[in-house]
Amino acid sequence: MNEVVEKVAPLAEPAGKGMAQGTDKAVVKKEPTILVCDGNEAAAWGIVLSRPDMVAVYPITPQSSLAEYVAQFVADGVLDAELVEAEGEHSVLSVLHGAALAGARTYTASCGQGLAFMFEPYFRTPNLRLPIVMSIVNRDGITPQCVWGGQQDAMTVREVGWVQLFCETVQEVLDTIVMAYRIAEDRSVMLPVNVNHDGNYLSNGIVRIELPDQAEVDDFLGTPDVNWHAALDPDRPMGVDPLTGGATGPGPALFVGYRRGHCEGMQNALRVIVEVHEEWARRFGRRYAPLVEEYRLDGAEYALVTIGSMAGAAKDAVDAARERGDRVGLIRIKTLRPFPVDAMVAALDKLRAVGVVDRAVSYGWNSGPVHQETLAALQYCSKRIPCLSLIGGLAGADLTQAHFERAIAATARLLDSPCPRAPVWLNAEDR
Amino acid sequence: MEQFDYVVLGASHAGLEALRAIRAHDADGSIAVLDREGRLPVSPTVLPYVVSGKRPEDRIALRERGWFDDLQVAYRQQAHAAALDTAYSRLRLADGREIGYGKLLLATGAAPAIPPIEGLSDVRFHVLRTLDDALALREVASAAGRSAGRAVVLGAGLVGMHAAENLARAGARVTIVEMRDQVLPGYFDATAAARIEGAFRDNGVEVLTGRRVARVAPRAAGCTVLLEGGEACDADVLLVAAGVRPEVSYLAGSGVAVERGVVVDEFMRTAAANVWAAGDVVQTRSFFGDATPAGGILPDAVEQGRTAGMSMAGDPALQPYPGGVSLNTYGFFGRRALSVGRDAPREAGPGWETRVRGGEGSDAYLKIVLCEGRLQGVFGVDVLFDPGIMWELILRRVDVGARADALLEDPQDTARALMSGLWR
Amino acid sequence: MTATPTIAFDAARCDGCGDCMNACASAKSTDGKLAQARIHIIRDAESGRWGVAQCRQCGDPRCASVCPAAALEKGDDGIVAWDAGRCVNCLICTAGCTFGGIAFSAKEGYVVKCDQCAGAPQCVAACTRGALRYVTTAKLYNRWGELEDLFVPGLGGCQGCNTELIMRHTLRRVGSNTVLATPPGCIPGMGSVGYNGMLGCKVPVFHPLLTNTASMLTGIRRQYKRKGRNVTALALAGDGGAGDVGFQSLSGAAERGEQILFVCVDNEGYMNTGAQRSGSTTYGAWTATTPVGEGARGKTQDAKNLPLLMMWHGCEYVATASTAFMEDFYAKLEAALDASERGFAYLHLYSPCTSGWRFPSASNIEVARKAVETNFAVLWEYRREHGLKLSRDIDDPAPVTDYLKLLGKFRHLDAAQIAHIEQHVAEQAQVMRELAAMRPGDGLFDRSPSNFLNAAG
Repeated sequence: MNEVVEKVAPLAEPAGKGMAQGTDKAVVKKEPTILVCDGNEAAAWGIVLSRPDMVAVYPITPQSSLAEYVAQFVADGVLDAELVEAEGEHSVLSVLHGAALAGARTYTASCGQGLAFMFEPYFRTPNLRLPIVMSIVNRDGITPQCVWGGQQDAMTVREVGWVQLFCETVQEVLDTIVMAYRIAEDRSVMLPVNVNHDGNYLSNGIVRIELPDQAEVDDFLGTPDVNWHAALDPDRPMGVDPLTGGATGPGPALFVGYRRGHCEGMQNALRVIVEVHEEWARRFGRRYAPLVEEYRLDGAEYALVTIGSMAGAAKDAVDAARERGDRVGLIRIKTLRPFPVDAMVAALDKLRAVGVVDRAVSYGWNSGPVHQETLAALQYCSKRIPCLSLIGGLAGADLTQAHFERAIAATARLLDSPCPRAPVWLNAEDR
Repeated sequence: MEQFDYVVLGASHAGLEALRAIRAHDADGSIAVLDREGRLPVSPTVLPYVVSGKRPEDRIALRERGWFDDLQVAYRQQAHAAALDTAYSRLRLADGREIGYGKLLLATGAAPAIPPIEGLSDVRFHVLRTLDDALALREVASAAGRSAGRAVVLGAGLVGMHAAENLARAGARVTIVEMRDQVLPGYFDATAAARIEGAFRDNGVEVLTGRRVARVAPRAAGCTVLLEGGEACDADVLLVAAGVRPEVSYLAGSGVAVERGVVVDEFMRTAAANVWAAGDVVQTRSFFGDATPAGGILPDAVEQGRTAGMSMAGDPALQPYPGGVSLNTYGFFGRRALSVGRDAPREAGPGWETRVRGGEGSDAYLKIVLCEGRLQGVFGVDVLFDPGIMWELILRRVDVGARADALLEDPQDTARALMSGLWR
Repeated sequence: MTATPTIAFDAARCDGCGDCMNACASAKSTDGKLAQARIHIIRDAESGRWGVAQCRQCGDPRCASVCPAAALEKGDDGIVAWDAGRCVNCLICTAGCTFGGIAFSAKEGYVVKCDQCAGAPQCVAACTRGALRYVTTAKLYNRWGELEDLFVPGLGGCQGCNTELIMRHTLRRVGSNTVLATPPGCIPGMGSVGYNGMLGCKVPVFHPLLTNTASMLTGIRRQYKRKGRNVTALALAGDGGAGDVGFQSLSGAAERGEQILFVCVDNEGYMNTGAQRSGSTTYGAWTATTPVGEGARGKTQDAKNLPLLMMWHGCEYVATASTAFMEDFYAKLEAALDASERGFAYLHLYSPCTSGWRFPSASNIEVARKAVETNFAVLWEYRREHGLKLSRDIDDPAPVTDYLKLLGKFRHLDAAQIAHIEQHVAEQAQVMRELAAMRPGDGLFDRSPSNFLNAAG
């Protein structure tokens, strides 16, 4: 794990490589509070700053310390929230459904099997248009038994209708959690948001971060208004989730209205995510690419596509390759859902070949999920661009600079050779 | 023109029960009840007790004003219906006002029938149908009693018999003249009637049955009643109690069919749309489907009023009116006679069975009439039973054949045991 | 129209001793001489059964309707009162009454009738056989009747279903400051959450998942509590949503002591979806998934005792109730509502299903009554501070077969199956008896089953 900390730590600095543009120090009003903590604690501080009414949690590795931090913050009076220690993830999210329908800003965190067990209410959350924020401390799936990082959990549920954001650094975890409430509660969105941070790499990697000013965050988030559209409130009696009529009556149109509205909310989220990141940069001085980060694409012939914390090591490998004269760049996807098709196409169109590194498997396509997403976006590019699938970092496996140098080499071969159909398994030889 | 969803003409038993039934189902519809009288409604049945002085006239009202207020019913007194226009659903009153109705109930009851007796119109005589009648009669009865005057009662129906008893108790010398051959014809069988008649004789009342009045002639302050066959009775007080006729004069040309009374179906609907009728104004169909005279029965009027009211309000619990069953509770000289249903016809078929106990000279008399095991009638003098239960046994056509002996022996407990098993 | 108390007569319990008549005669006697009983017990020679003639204080008294002197009147207290000052002794009232409830008394010279002794009927007090009961349920109906009906006038329930009764009466009492959860099942099927945008209740209502009712209510209740609002969190759930697939969330919320009123309407299976088996289905019962055929004779396992399981959670309040015993149900609903202000309140309603159990739609209340009278469904109440108490005597139950024979779902039972059910019913009754004999100090409070078993064993 030491190696992980080493790799992550430098990236977490305020002006680290994760930031596409320079900082806006001029608008930072106060001397920031500095903390040295891991991603789970950073997430918990993000919750403190966001002032939710209710937090429901059930512990699961590698999320457990996050739950513990939140519980301790509540116990210490740092966070004034109802804490519900539910008997399982299924109830965790169900409690938040009730709370949100009663007007609460809410939070939970889970991953892996917990997310799987939560699936029934999880599946329903965006259909209820509840702006719940939930961290997924990404964990790989069983079987075989595994408590380690990997993004199979979040990737598996990417068609359920949540907004899915993936963080690269510990600082970004904190900042994105706060931003997630603005995105989720935007009246044109009203959707739940998953803030993903990789188990182990980010959850347990300790770095130095800045804590935004509470008053500034309060001003940024405003007062929650989460049940204006659907409430369980005796002062505004209504039925939530009526039966629809199947093939007859107004049923089909009603149902289509729900689904189309949901899709529209997702598309609106693309705009809102950009606006919120822009405002965050203005207020707090840290700018993140909201949808798709283009890293050293200027003059690049080909690039890696990455997601989550792996981008740190990948960028080191890109830097090294550039120094050697290889015309390689990097695309980091922050927003996977809604999929930022335009931003992705704009980035891809600058290239002649891409290699997509996944920390999850798309079994049906014999590749990775982000690879599939990239293939779909390529359809809108002006030319045909070969696209290689690379899979690594499963079940906590390290993705080091060396792994990414191999990924860069494999992608470079697409410039003059046919693109293999089979994925490259980056950790296949690691013992 | 005033307009009401429901208008009830008449505020006696049928009309009042209809009001209750309408309001029980329709909480909001506007209702008016129009009464001919200028005072709170009074039942004809209590009038003999007013005549006797047993009840003061200010304690006999069937309903107080508050009752109408509670039901949110507009209660109008001295409202005489003069004409009914069913085409335009409106009533014209005697004072010229018009009232529009959505649904109308005719419950105007009956008026005393005045027999076509020669000379009757030339003498002062009494009838007993309204409180005014009762007060007038009370006055003369008391005077006649004080002076041991003579009173003649024409008709031995319930009104005549009650009045005769009261006049006798007041001290008058009373003669009852009845053209049929028993007292209380149609109410009690001949044996029961004979026991009742005996009681009257024992109390000094002269009872002349099977006698017709030929003529009435004035005589001093009173009159002389000349019977067919030549006999003459002097009368200081003459009471005509020869039955009643339905009060239907205002229905001429209305389209409401009238025969012996207003013709109605099993839901008390008349021939005219949106017009119902109930109570003594109606030509009541017999429950038995025969020609037994039915009508003038108080519980029956209530039943008709309820049926009409429910039908008018569209109450889904409405049941068809089963038809009239004769039913009487009659007290005389401290004794009681009860009758429910009908007697066996003169030429009764083999299915008929009549059980009797107690004939002449015995303490009590009871007759039970069955047809194919079903109770048809119960007649008793000085025997107690629950007429309401007997009525229900008849209406339900309960087979009581196996209990005929027990019924005769102990009608009250036997019928109660049946009731407890059947509908309690 | 208001409902009023009544004196109920159970012919099966009457032995004709006549104590009621004597008590009435002496209660109504001013000098011990004149009074005549206003209640008459009569034996029907044919059937050998005892019957009664007594005023029923009809809501719509015909004796009063026919009285020409306005001497009889139904009072606000429910009593049809007789006014001696108006009566003319015409006896027409006795023709109006079909129950023998008002009759001429030769001894007293006028009609006499029951007046329920101003709320303390002496005949009932004198009855040692339990044949006469003074039923005051009507007071509750009146009180409930004045409360707003919070359910739509029409609904899509099966004919004869008693769940409408449960819905309406529960909502009336609980009131409009409520959030109602109706998980998938008969109750939303009847239209509580409405269809296509039409709402079935006047309170906020929702479909939770079948699995998460208690959890969603947790969030709702806690959020309002946090905001200083005392909103009742009410569940009307079926036995599957409570005890099978929904049991985890129910158990979790009960253990956490969430302030929820959870009503389980137990129709012993998945009746809304075609009568499939659940954990609450009785041994031997036919269901669509425990069919009867060559190789199968219905369900082969006993039902789990869900309310007892809930009691072991140490809830604030747990009770079982039946719509055949509304007075008891009302009292328990009151207690449960009150307890839900402090902690978890669980009310288990035995609710016969006309369609799924296969019995005539007019018999629902009778079936519910027989279930209780045979000890098939035992009515009891647990309060955290007082322990468990039986709501009615269970020592003299009617034969279980009286209940079984009413239901089509048991029609195929053979002697061995009936014996199994009889034994199970007897065992359950014994468990309840022993639990009822325990006091809090005996171990009901520390939530430790082993402690209880030691004490009970």
